[in-house]
Amino acid sequence: MALADAEVRGSISDFLFMESLALDERRFRDWLTAFAADARYEVPVRVTREKLAEWELSPSSRIFDDTKRTLEFRIERLETDFAWSEQPPSRTRHYVTNVLVELTDVADEYLVHSNCLLYRSRGDDPNPSIFSTQRKDRIRKVGDGWEIVHRWAAIDQSLINAHNMSIFI
Amino acid sequence: MSDDVMSMVRQMREGVPAGRVPARIFNDREVFEQELTKVFGKAWCFLAHETEIPKPGDYVTRYIANNNIIVARDEKGEVHAHLNMCRHRGNMMCKSEMGNASHFRCSYHGWVYKNSGELIGVPYFNEAYDKKLDRKEFGLVKVRVESYAGLIFGTLDPNAESLEDYLGGFQFYLDIYLKQGINGSEVHGPPDHWVAETDWKICTENFSGDGYHTPVAHQFGFHLGYFPSSGATHSKGWAVHIPDKGHGIGLGHTPGMPPFFGYPDDLVKQMHESLSPEQLELFSKTRTAVGSVFPNLSFLIQPLSLEPGDPGVRFCTMRLYHPIGPGRMEMWSWCLVPKDASAEYKEAAYQAYTLAFGQAGTFEQDDFENWTKVTKMTGSTLAREVDFPYIQGLGHEPLEDFPGPGFAVEPYVTEDNFRNLWATWARYMEGE
Repeated sequence: MALADAEVRGSISDFLFMESLALDERRFRDWLTAFAADARYEVPVRVTREKLAEWELSPSSRIFDDTKRTLEFRIERLETDFAWSEQPPSRTRHYVTNVLVELTDVADEYLVHSNCLLYRSRGDDPNPSIFSTQRKDRIRKVGDGWEIVHRWAAIDQSLINAHNMSIFI
Repeated sequence: MSDDVMSMVRQMREGVPAGRVPARIFNDREVFEQELTKVFGKAWCFLAHETEIPKPGDYVTRYIANNNIIVARDEKGEVHAHLNMCRHRGNMMCKSEMGNASHFRCSYHGWVYKNSGELIGVPYFNEAYDKKLDRKEFGLVKVRVESYAGLIFGTLDPNAESLEDYLGGFQFYLDIYLKQGINGSEVHGPPDHWVAETDWKICTENFSGDGYHTPVAHQFGFHLGYFPSSGATHSKGWAVHIPDKGHGIGLGHTPGMPPFFGYPDDLVKQMHESLSPEQLELFSKTRTAVGSVFPNLSFLIQPLSLEPGDPGVRFCTMRLYHPIGPGRMEMWSWCLVPKDASAEYKEAAYQAYTLAFGQAGTFEQDDFENWTKVTKMTGSTLAREVDFPYIQGLGHEPLEDFPGPGFAVEPYVTEDNFRNLWATWARYMEGE
């Protein structure tokens, strides 16, 4: 894996931390600005398979299969008074670690590997939902900043222990 | 069954036709334990769609009640279902959710079975068993299977009626989901699979045609223009159930809607071959078809607009509510697409499905938020004494000129289907 220099890594890491801070502070419109106009947001379905199986992450099934437009659809919904799954809202915390910034064959575009542990607490339920995920983001330089061209996040559980996913990874 | 639950069920047999259902059935340990044998031990239960196991050797593992079951296609193409348990010491045979294998070998002492269930390999057969073990007697425990239009069902009751009789005419309505094209429907991929603190019956009831909840529970869709219906006319349409069988469907209609709106033209053409004139007449007027097969399998087909006010893209979901505890279930949710539709339509339909249903779907999210709360509330000591009203449409006569079988009424928003569902459930619980 050919890695970008420390300056690029630092700058992209800060970008990812800012992006998840927007989610955890429920500033969804701010969060959306982190995505490119042609962005894809994808969370594949995981299946428990034998070691030698061709795939564990389904090539065709996805929990999220979004464009920037459909992410906006979800956010418009959250802005109404009747998005019941987030009424009252979830408390989320994104723990983003193990950031590795890999060079790609496109200048100013990087494949960014990270782990994201997502904690979600709802109401007075003492049992939080915890989603452990592997992320691979395609991130592009725009002016002085960055934008996500493709977010890919795979949840480590195949049977997911949460009644819904009304939040973003 | 304790006298307490027995008397509740007996009272229900009288209460349901009068429009009363006890809250307690939605979250109660003994009700759950009794259902495992009284309902799931007797009914035809959905196992898999044939397109999940298209090739010889393909298998998936599924459940009926707490029984983990291998559903496999053998080398001749025939589908078999067996308890996923070695007959020697009870170890789990397949530990993955899907795969391909001609044989299953136990990881404990090494007994080997064909995917059709026969025991064919026993280590130290001569030395340890003196060749005395009758291998024919120790095949995997068989589960009876039958299928309809791609749906594979199993029953634990060897004396159960045929699947055809069990569905009892509901096939007419299932075809809207299963015969979307000349070669039927296929799963888009493996199902979403998650755990919810929800009683399975709440989901079955909702998908038996609860058009009543939609303008409120999914108000955002109406408000933002993503759901092509309006609060003013949302009650329009029909509700149909198969008396005594428990199956029910709601068929929502939007006044003034063009026939087959939301379907691509080539698919409408195909449906003219795959469906009967009576089905075409009814389905051309159907915006939403939301139906449940007793006990725990449901379907939904409806359009979702990706831009406010657009006619929308049709998507179809199939879902299974697997009970795992009192007020606790595993949810399996598939997207069904017409086999012979264009790749573009399949992708668009799948994207609409993920945006609306599946674990992150915007409609699904709100449903499960409500359903987990219903489950929590109905488990309380005071709620145990409470009945819910199920009187919508009580006493209405069925439509006489309806094109399909069963007991059909207008409008779409009614509780006829639910009374039939709960009467059927109570009858099973009484062991009749």
